[in-house]
Amino acid sequence: MSAGRAGKFAKKRDAGLNITSMMDMFTIILVFLIKSYSADGSILTNADDLVLPNSESKKKPSDVNLQLAVTQDMILLDNVAVTPTDDARNIPQEEPDPIITKLEERLKVAMAMEEEMVRMGALNAVQGQIIVQVDKNIDFDVLFKIMNTCGKSGFNNMNFAVMERDG
Amino acid sequence: MGNKLKRPRMEADEMDLKCFMNLMVVLIPMLLMSAEFAKVAIIDIRLPEERGSQTKSAVTDQPQDKSEKLLLTAIITDSVVTLGAKGGFMPSLFYREFHRYRTRDGLDTLVEYEPGGAMPRHPNGRDLTIHERHEIYLYVVNPEDRNIIRSKHTRFGEMLTNADGNPVEALSVGDTVFALTNPRRMIVVSNPDDFESRQLSAYDELRNRLMKVKDRYRDAEDADDIIIAAENEVIYDKIVQIMDAARNAEFPNISIAKLRG
Repeated sequence: MSAGRAGKFAKKRDAGLNITSMMDMFTIILVFLIKSYSADGSILTNADDLVLPNSESKKKPSDVNLQLAVTQDMILLDNVAVTPTDDARNIPQEEPDPIITKLEERLKVAMAMEEEMVRMGALNAVQGQIIVQVDKNIDFDVLFKIMNTCGKSGFNNMNFAVMERDG
Repeated sequence: MGNKLKRPRMEADEMDLKCFMNLMVVLIPMLLMSAEFAKVAIIDIRLPEERGSQTKSAVTDQPQDKSEKLLLTAIITDSVVTLGAKGGFMPSLFYREFHRYRTRDGLDTLVEYEPGGAMPRHPNGRDLTIHERHEIYLYVVNPEDRNIIRSKHTRFGEMLTNADGNPVEALSVGDTVFALTNPRRMIVVSNPDDFESRQLSAYDELRNRLMKVKDRYRDAEDADDIIIAAENEVIYDKIVQIMDAARNAEFPNISIAKLRG
């Protein structure tokens, strides 16, 4: 009885959080999070069937502009669906100058906007820059048709988005 | 009296971490929100239109330009990777294609791919999907018997070449070899067991050949340019890997072309 009472009393005196181990943990988490800190947000379009290929490129995307996403079943311009990817697949492969008409229309509008901005003085010159995110399992055939369409609409400065390899 | 003296000392022993904890509680959510776990990078390329006019002018100007222009082209089809320059071609690299599939339930297999073949099966009976394909490996084969060529690699997976820039198949003590980094790293073999025999990757061999071309034609007018020509069925991932090899071998101006017929 008296021993139990003494035990209870001792417990009460020791109560109070042992913060040291928690601090260790927090410090590790803090270092890890600072390592993966990035000031500019992600430019990714989120889609189940849009997996970017891995590459050793370290070049950072500039804070632009227009982004085109090509998934297995849709082509999206600035996250707005434009046309099914099958439209591109259905253009005959022998076609020397393949153009995806619906995509071209949208790109022309975007180009006109860029020209308008240059005229108003918001931009120095027409950059024609576009970031293209292509699913890694897309055929070269589709890629070529999209590149051709972009080029013909005045977007000559193409950048392919890729995932940086770890390490 | 003695008691009074003791107590302040006891309190000074423990640091007051509460304010630091408050700081952590604020900092961690903030950093967590702006953390970036998958880093996105970009690859610059030139458009085929530009390349079209380039080749056109190159064709018309060919007589006087022939000595200076390299016109380096990397060609990829469904079974061959090769390099061409100045109208000639290097020996083709025949490859066999292996796909590595990883699924959510922990399956990790390497399957040989045959053009036009069906998707491989999961052990539980369903077909694997195209999005479970994790990576594509191209292994160089002997053109006659289609056996995969093996060569020596470092522990980090870097391919080894000899002084002529050819892959090394056997090592002995005292050999001087070069690891495939840019610039190449010289290694004197002290223990042949330090190196592993692995399948020779077509991407590595292509990079090796591109570095040799770069060394030889550093003064060419278009020494930074490369054209990647691909067949219609080639998967985008392979093109990106070839672009990586090209940039690694200091050919940053990449244009893309279509291989016809």
